[in-house]
Amino acid sequence: MFTFLHAADIHLDSPFHKLDRYEGAPVAEFRQATRRAFENLVRLAIAEKVAFVIIAGDLYDGDWKDYNTGLYLVSRMGALRDAGIPVFVAAGNHDAASAITKTLRFPENVTLFPAHHPATFLVEKVGAALHGQSFATPAEKRDLSRGYPPAVPGRCNIGVLHTCASGREGHEPYAPCSLEVLRNKGYDYWALGHVHQREVLQEDPPVVFSGNTQGRHAKETGAKGCYLVSVDDHGRIGVQFRSLDVVRWATARVDAGGAESGYEVVERFIRHLEELVVESDGLPLAVRVEVKGETLACDEILSDVDRWTNEIRSAAVESGGGGVWVEKIAFRLRMPVGDRFPHVPGGAVGELLHLLDELDADPGSRVELGAELADLEKKLPRELKTGPEALRLEDEHWLGDLLAQVRPLLVRRLLRKGDAL
Amino acid sequence: MRLIAYGPFTDTALDWSRGGEGLHLVFGSNEAGKSSALRALRHLLYGIPERSADNFVHPYASLRVGACLRPAQGQVIECIRRKGRGNTLRTGDDASVLEESVLHRCLGGVDADLFGAMFAIDHADLVRGGREIIQGGGDVGRLVFSAGSGIVNLREVQNSLEAEADQLFRPAGQKPRLNEALARLSRYRRELQEAQLPGREWAGHDEALRTARSRKALIEDELRTHQRKLARLERIEQALPVLARRKELKNAWEAAAGAVLLPEDFADKRHGLLTRLGIAEREKRQARQTLATHGDAVSSLDIPSGLLESSELIEETHRELGSQRKAAKDRIGIEVRRDTLRGEAGELLKSLRDDTSLEQVEGLRMKKSEVVKVQELGARYERNITRIQDGRDRLPALAREIAEVQEALRGLSAPRPVEALRTVLAEDEQWGPLERQWRKEQTDLEVALQGVMLQKGGLRLGAVRLEELEALPVPYAEGIRLFEERFTAATQRLKELERETRKARSASDEARRRIETLRLEREVPSERELTQARGIRDEGWVLVARVLEQEPVCREKVDTYLDKTPGALSLADAFASHLRTADAIADRLYREAERVALKARLLAEEAAHGEGLEKLAKEREEAESDTQQAEADWRNLWEPVGVSPLSPRQMGPWAQDFRALVERLKEIRVRQARAATLKEDIDAYRSKLTRCLVGLGQPDSGDKEPVAILIKRARTLLEEQEDLEHRRLDLLRDKAQREKEMADAQARLEVSEGELKRWQEEWEAAVRPLGLDADVLPAQATAVMEELKSLFDKLKEAGVLQKRIEGIDRDTDEFSGKVSSLAEAVAPDLAGRPTDETVLELNNRLKRCRDAHSRKETLEKQTEKEKERLKLAEQAIVQVTAQLRRMCEEAGCQGVEELPEAEARSKKRRELERDLRDADEQLRRLSAGSTVEAFAEQAQGVDADAASGEMERLRERIDELGAEKSRLDQTIGSETSELARMDGSARAAELAEEIQTTLGGLENDVVHYARLKIAAKVLSRAIERYREKSQGPILKRAATLFSRITGGSFEGLRAEFDDSGHPVIVGVRPGGTIVPVEGMSDGTADQLYLALRLAGLERYLERSEPLPFIVDDILIRFDDHRAAATLEVLADLSRRTQVIFFTHHEHLVSLAERTVDPSVLVKSTIGA
Repeated sequence: MFTFLHAADIHLDSPFHKLDRYEGAPVAEFRQATRRAFENLVRLAIAEKVAFVIIAGDLYDGDWKDYNTGLYLVSRMGALRDAGIPVFVAAGNHDAASAITKTLRFPENVTLFPAHHPATFLVEKVGAALHGQSFATPAEKRDLSRGYPPAVPGRCNIGVLHTCASGREGHEPYAPCSLEVLRNKGYDYWALGHVHQREVLQEDPPVVFSGNTQGRHAKETGAKGCYLVSVDDHGRIGVQFRSLDVVRWATARVDAGGAESGYEVVERFIRHLEELVVESDGLPLAVRVEVKGETLACDEILSDVDRWTNEIRSAAVESGGGGVWVEKIAFRLRMPVGDRFPHVPGGAVGELLHLLDELDADPGSRVELGAELADLEKKLPRELKTGPEALRLEDEHWLGDLLAQVRPLLVRRLLRKGDAL
Repeated sequence: MRLIAYGPFTDTALDWSRGGEGLHLVFGSNEAGKSSALRALRHLLYGIPERSADNFVHPYASLRVGACLRPAQGQVIECIRRKGRGNTLRTGDDASVLEESVLHRCLGGVDADLFGAMFAIDHADLVRGGREIIQGGGDVGRLVFSAGSGIVNLREVQNSLEAEADQLFRPAGQKPRLNEALARLSRYRRELQEAQLPGREWAGHDEALRTARSRKALIEDELRTHQRKLARLERIEQALPVLARRKELKNAWEAAAGAVLLPEDFADKRHGLLTRLGIAEREKRQARQTLATHGDAVSSLDIPSGLLESSELIEETHRELGSQRKAAKDRIGIEVRRDTLRGEAGELLKSLRDDTSLEQVEGLRMKKSEVVKVQELGARYERNITRIQDGRDRLPALAREIAEVQEALRGLSAPRPVEALRTVLAEDEQWGPLERQWRKEQTDLEVALQGVMLQKGGLRLGAVRLEELEALPVPYAEGIRLFEERFTAATQRLKELERETRKARSASDEARRRIETLRLEREVPSERELTQARGIRDEGWVLVARVLEQEPVCREKVDTYLDKTPGALSLADAFASHLRTADAIADRLYREAERVALKARLLAEEAAHGEGLEKLAKEREEAESDTQQAEADWRNLWEPVGVSPLSPRQMGPWAQDFRALVERLKEIRVRQARAATLKEDIDAYRSKLTRCLVGLGQPDSGDKEPVAILIKRARTLLEEQEDLEHRRLDLLRDKAQREKEMADAQARLEVSEGELKRWQEEWEAAVRPLGLDADVLPAQATAVMEELKSLFDKLKEAGVLQKRIEGIDRDTDEFSGKVSSLAEAVAPDLAGRPTDETVLELNNRLKRCRDAHSRKETLEKQTEKEKERLKLAEQAIVQVTAQLRRMCEEAGCQGVEELPEAEARSKKRRELERDLRDADEQLRRLSAGSTVEAFAEQAQGVDADAASGEMERLRERIDELGAEKSRLDQTIGSETSELARMDGSARAAELAEEIQTTLGGLENDVVHYARLKIAAKVLSRAIERYREKSQGPILKRAATLFSRITGGSFEGLRAEFDDSGHPVIVGVRPGGTIVPVEGMSDGTADQLYLALRLAGLERYLERSEPLPFIVDDILIRFDDHRAAATLEVLADLSRRTQVIFFTHHEHLVSLAERTVDPSVLVKSTIGA
């Protein structure tokens, strides 16, 4: 009877994506989250007195050059060595790309699977045989699993592999493999890495993606951690997920339908947030907020997005107990059908609304309008210009979305006179 | 509008249905609920907001505002608005929900905010608008846009968009948030670059550290060996001189070893004992001398007995002597005072009475009651005398005043009867304004009639008399329209026929042209030709057949046949030729079948076109005759009107104008009749008033004088008469009052005189005891009484002083007795001396006796002390001598004088022993653990000269090794610290986090900046576009309105270019002077803004659904002329859309009544 830990995709020192800092945001709680999550892994291994630890690839980000990250990793491996726990690492695509990997000397308890052929290491004390192979290059397109040796009879056989399996959305298609091939190797457990969302591909024998140890952006929601695997004297395998993350990501989808005012929308957000806080096991939360629906508050909010962004942020500060960081707020609002006016009025305001309608209908003139932003566009850093949420200041669609907010902003500022006639 | 339950209102109706669209003037004083009504209107159209404050009377659930709305198109909407979250618009009976879209349709896309901006204006807007014009420098684009939207704060919005954007980003800025964040970002990136530790750098440092550490271990080993050798040689070198000195010391010690070793303090002890001995002997001598001196002094003192025993009594008499002396001095002063008082009393008495001495004076003392009586009578006398004097003065003055009032009464004119006039004036005072109105109406009617005449001329009906106009049988619009249609139909028909003819002709031409073309190309064979050719062939065949059958052939026939065949010589030739011809035709027919068919079709077409053309010509004739018939009918229709008609299309509006003219004429007639009735009423009133005035002696001015002036004259007369009457009544009241006062004064005088007589009798009795006569005045009597009182006071004081003198004399006698008995007892030698002297001498003797006694006591104490001192000195001498003797024995000396020698010997031996110990100690330290003797032996074996060379060599090597070790230590230190710096720090990771945080902030700010920037751009584009489209019409109209509102103070407006080339609005004065907006007063700027707003509104109304224009008291800063002009302008506007004007200024209501066309003006009041 023994236990071991299966983790992957540590991505040490990889920062959280584009968290805007504001008054009351829990900055300290979010600092060095990946390191603290790894610390939790080490602590768990020692507390559970595991026989060994498996890391199925991606210790750090490929383009990250700071050797300090490696030194930190070595110091933590040293802690495991002092506790008598061996560690087996299969390098993943990021590790293969990393400059750190090339010079780092691990303590003697760490074993790195070789890159050019699969290898088997025995842990005699518990009778386990670990088979694995590291990535030699970042873009490994071959099915490495085919070359893995057959199971060693009379041992508990464990396969360690960094792979995209049969392909996963949002992940590079590296070292693809099929469940069929894995199954045919006759191993007792497959410890996979690379896919950040944890998943049990097969129950018996278990084929498992452990997911990453700490979510780092709005798409990596929910608890993150590793698997504690137990093997009993009859070779039966038990699998148990253990969370390691120190900060959690969530999306708050606020239904603003029918709300009478901006404050009511904020109220609804608070109620939703309270549920998310309860679900987060007391961990600090990074929340992406999506406010949607048909509401009378549409104009009020869209005419001053800045203000309502701050309202939501301070509501989060107040009701989140200081542990909530609102990452980004998307307002997708419309006026209720019955309250929309069917025509564009005459006069000067009509002219303005016509102009807005024209811009809405004519991508060319929108792009021309975008020239106003050319000065800023030139100075924008490339991180903001790429990716699915890029700021494309000269793009007709992006400008179209922007104009949808410009309309209420202008109309409201120009016409707001209060309740007086 | 019905305020069913809203704000302060309960079921209150505001009727705005009259006067066409109408200018509705709603008057309400402050607090009347004007603002609530305004708000209700808005809430009716757009819903009651969730947090409305209008529930202070009715709860939210029952808030209701209702109205009838009449859109420009479509049916009247009757609806009620309630408060709630949905379905708040209800039908007029509040029974069911009304779709919001029903209301939206007639609002023309104007939402609540736009309605507030564009269709409502209050005084604050006006002031703000005016201020914006001045501050914005009259920018045309903005003003036109403002005018067309009602937006007052346009410039502010534009500026704030720009300013907010600038705060976020400026292309060349550093401070704005985005610039700052971008700078921060590159700084972080730089820092990250520096903070990142390359792996090979770590490996390099690690290697260097290991090498340095192993080298250092080797060097340390060698160093230790050399240091040990050097240390041994150094010790031996240091020990050699010490060993030599030790030997010398040992020799000297052996010589001094026989001396007695005395304690180290022996000499000091000896010196101390000798000093103590000297001191004790000196003491002994001094004590003996002092004892002798004290014995002599005591025996010389003298102390008499007795005095000390009586010391208390002597001191007491000495103290009393002072007070005795003071009493004797006081007695003299008291005697003088007593004698003076007695003298003064005598003088007083003498001044009052000659016949009485001081001893008899008691007989003159008065009782207290008698004194009071005299005083009271004195006071009564004063009162009576004053009253009598007052009465005598007042009576003649009153008589004079009564005479004056009577004189004034005689001067007043007699009153006239004005009751009748008052009644007439009270009856009705509205006749003045009515007459003015009648005159205005007369003028208006004339103008209207002239207008009608002009219009009649314009309709070419100049010859027709007005009375006949109505009777003219002008055809109705429907009839004219029928004719118009008929003409149109006929013309249409003709045009159509023309077109068809042209078409048919051109088709026919086309057919002909194509036939000709075919022909020109090559003649097309026809069936007929073939038949013809075959006929000729067959004819020949008949002949040929006969020849072949050898039947006879008629020659003629053959010749004829040959004739048909030119060039043929024989029948066979001819037949063959015709056979070929027929075949050729048949072949061509077959070959050119298409062309043949085409030609046939073309020919058929041509024929058909010919027929069509004929038919068309006929139809055209018919149409033309129809047209002529229509024209004739048309002229006949107008024959009775006497107007030669133009086309029906032109005559339609003519007829319309004609009907309007007739309507106006009818209206004028009605107004004329009303005016005549009014005039009769006015005249009746005038004659009634004139009658009254004539009755009161006023001249009759006839009916030239306006009724208003007549009324004014009558009113003045009435007021004069009323004044006169008031004055007469006042005078009569004055006279009566003064007569009453005079009678009262007379009565009071008589009473006072009787009183004075009674007083005289009492006074005589009262002053008699004073020895005074009855005619003495009260003041004199009082003076006598006061003198007497002073006399008695002085006598009383002199008696008191006499008693004190007697007391002093008694005390002096007692004291003398006491002193003489004391002297007899203690100092008989003083008998017979005066008391004072005796007391003083006794006191002196007592003092001397006390001094001698205390001196004796002091000497006795000192003698005791000296005896003790002598005893101590003698004891000390014995002790010291014994100790000195013992010391001599210890040192082995005969006497004290030998002791110093013994002490020197002992000291020498002690020093030598100490030096030897020191040398041994030094050697022990240098021997490094071995015994002194062994170490000395070792040292003997070393050659001192060779050792010094060896030591030098060792030192050099040690220095070299030390330097290298220090270098290695430095290397180890720096490498260790380098590696310590590379401790797995998260600094770079933190910077990466900072970069991401900064990016997050940038992302939000960029979007915000883009929103503001694009909004500003879109707004300025919209402003420019609206300016291009509307600048002309709006400015032109605003110029007219501005000129009207300013009462011609300005002629109009113009767009000019300012210094920087921007188009701006300027005012134009009559005569062409230009006034820039900065040069306009606040009021004028307000009016300019109003003119622009109204022009913008009119422009809107040209194209869109009208909505009521709500005006909230905008005229409060306008003078009456401009206010009146503005009201007229609003009245004009009300012909296009309803204008609702709220005000709490009553004078504006009457101003509107005077100014605005009554058919448009509708007044109502709220809150009253």
